[in-house]
Amino acid sequence: MKLNFIILSTFLLFISINLQSQDKIPNVTLKTLEGKSINSKSTFNKNGLTIYSFWATWCLPCINELDAINRDFKDWQAQTNVELIAVSTDDARTKRRVRPLVNGKKWDFKILTDENQAFKRALNINGIPHTIVTKGSNIIYQKIGYKPGEENDLFEFVLKNSSKSN
Amino acid sequence: MFFLLNSFNIKSQILKNITSSFQSNSAYYLDDSRTGDFIFDKRFRSNNYLNLKTYTDNNWNFELQIESYLPKALLNYSSNFEEVGISTFNVQYNKKKLNIQLGNFYEQFGSGMILRTWEDKNLGINNSIRGLNIKYRINDQINLTTLFGDQKKGFKYSKGYIIGFDSEFDVSELLKKESTFLLGLSYVGRNDQKTKSIFYKKMSTLFSLRIDYSATYFYSNFEAVNKSTDPVIMFGSVSDTFMKKGSALLFNSGFFKNGLGFDFTFRRLENMSLFSEKESSGNPYNESIVNYLPGLTKQHDYSLTNLYVYAAQPSVSFQSPNITKAGEIGIQTDLYYSIEKETFFGGKHGTNLAINWSLWNNLDGDFDFNNQKYETNLFGFGDKYFTELSFEIRKKWSEKFHNTFLYVNQFYSKKFIVDSTGKVDSNILVLENIFKINNKSLRLEIQHLTTQDDTKNWSAIGLEYNLSSAVSLYISDLYNYQNPDIDEKIHYYNLGGSYSKGINRFTINYGRQRGGLVCTGGICRYVPESTGFSFTVNTSLF
Repeated sequence: MKLNFIILSTFLLFISINLQSQDKIPNVTLKTLEGKSINSKSTFNKNGLTIYSFWATWCLPCINELDAINRDFKDWQAQTNVELIAVSTDDARTKRRVRPLVNGKKWDFKILTDENQAFKRALNINGIPHTIVTKGSNIIYQKIGYKPGEENDLFEFVLKNSSKSN
Repeated sequence: MFFLLNSFNIKSQILKNITSSFQSNSAYYLDDSRTGDFIFDKRFRSNNYLNLKTYTDNNWNFELQIESYLPKALLNYSSNFEEVGISTFNVQYNKKKLNIQLGNFYEQFGSGMILRTWEDKNLGINNSIRGLNIKYRINDQINLTTLFGDQKKGFKYSKGYIIGFDSEFDVSELLKKESTFLLGLSYVGRNDQKTKSIFYKKMSTLFSLRIDYSATYFYSNFEAVNKSTDPVIMFGSVSDTFMKKGSALLFNSGFFKNGLGFDFTFRRLENMSLFSEKESSGNPYNESIVNYLPGLTKQHDYSLTNLYVYAAQPSVSFQSPNITKAGEIGIQTDLYYSIEKETFFGGKHGTNLAINWSLWNNLDGDFDFNNQKYETNLFGFGDKYFTELSFEIRKKWSEKFHNTFLYVNQFYSKKFIVDSTGKVDSNILVLENIFKINNKSLRLEIQHLTTQDDTKNWSAIGLEYNLSSAVSLYISDLYNYQNPDIDEKIHYYNLGGSYSKGINRFTINYGRQRGGLVCTGGICRYVPESTGFSFTVNTSLF
């Protein structure tokens, strides 16, 4: 056990000295709501910002966040050209609720599904809601959780970093 | 020399592209004058997960996950999680249409009814397969996957192997319409070297066919599974004489338009549980589980709606002459309706309605307990396991105030679901209110469960205060106030808080946990029953 500890801590020390954070969208297969496969590398906005919001039909804070963003999303887009992809992590138990829910909510952004959570896992995401903002394929912002009002902070960040507003 | 330099370059390039995440869940368990002393060793327990991975634009990438359970794993985790170990290690090679993974991998065929490997730290599930996984995308229409390996079980691996093949064909173009039509065929072979007998084969095989149709406002899908003859496992032992084939049928269809959505699901499972080692069948940690058969009911967010939760009943189980099960059959329907803003019922900000109804029964058939035999009818509904009707209204009154009202009527057969006696007929009411004041918000949750059965009525109350986008505090209580046994009239109280900034998040909780799905400050997770302090950390090391 002691030996394991020593190996582990040496390993951690070694990597923490050597490394910088990586920040690219990984290469994973996602699906559209119709079930067609799509590569994650083809999902981001090449010339601007993309928000990836990880959610599920059973996650109330996630839905509250997406509802809040949806309220002003047209304005966000007009000002910054930002795109939003809501990545559903619903598995076989709840994925049937995704399409009726999205339709009922009239969300104005793209929805993709990550049923076995390959994309979520590749991005090292442990819980939802989790929000990522990318510029091209580079990740420039990440946030865990959602509390009412936080959508304003997200928009401020998007506004500050979008080329259109410069 | 050049080679060395070159390899050094590649190395440093890979190192630059490593990403990490670290999660730590710890608890300090206390004695409790009401629920009893902590009777296990090690009051302080901690589960830690460090994940490192690369995703360069190169063809090669790797993933490593180290876990430690020191001094011991949290309560309700398998004893196969011990000390420190490597739980995931894989090397991936990507080139255009080809993806190869060597090591631990996560995969799902179709809806997972014949194969799903996944990780859920909070539930203690990590059933990855260690071996080789090759995916080949022939063109936009055809995807092929093949895999082979042994299955993870704590830090150990199952004896035997799993082999699988999946194909998916997109034949939408044949329809020449704005619709999608997908066909899938899969195969899974499970070779169990642990429990052997001359009476049955080591290898069990499963075939699955699926069809997926999707148009602008309508979708429909179907999946059928055939499982080869498998011995029945009861009370942890594998029968040499009681052997049956297995099967699964799943049909789902729905439509949605203009704020109205409807969904219907039918599923029938017979002798469908599948574990890489037969003996593991029905283990409480879901270890060695090969396929994914979730209970198809509404997934609730509130504590009292999660007291009597239905779990799918895929197995053959002859507990007594009165409890003979061969699987489950049932339906679930959902209706969603969004009432437009600026209408009479919609009000200024709109209203959302959701109605869910589910019904799950034993298979109908002739069960012969003494001779351990049964025959089932294909579409017959047998003894009732569970029914639930729920009605939910979400209403936004103003920018500052919105609430959710939920009514649930539930029937839960303790006899059939947990092999006990009796049933629970209950009515549950939930009222959740959210008040928003600038960047602060307050959430008040009031719940009541009414029943004449089991331990009678419960009430619950919860208050959460979000001081800022970073800090959140909460206090809650769950009380079985009508429990006929005075010693069991227990308050399950909890208080705590969370701090989050970017991808860092810390939480602390003190209280008495009943167990179930708990959501606070925006994150949901399952917690086991206990009393004490708990702490969680989510962060990235670099």
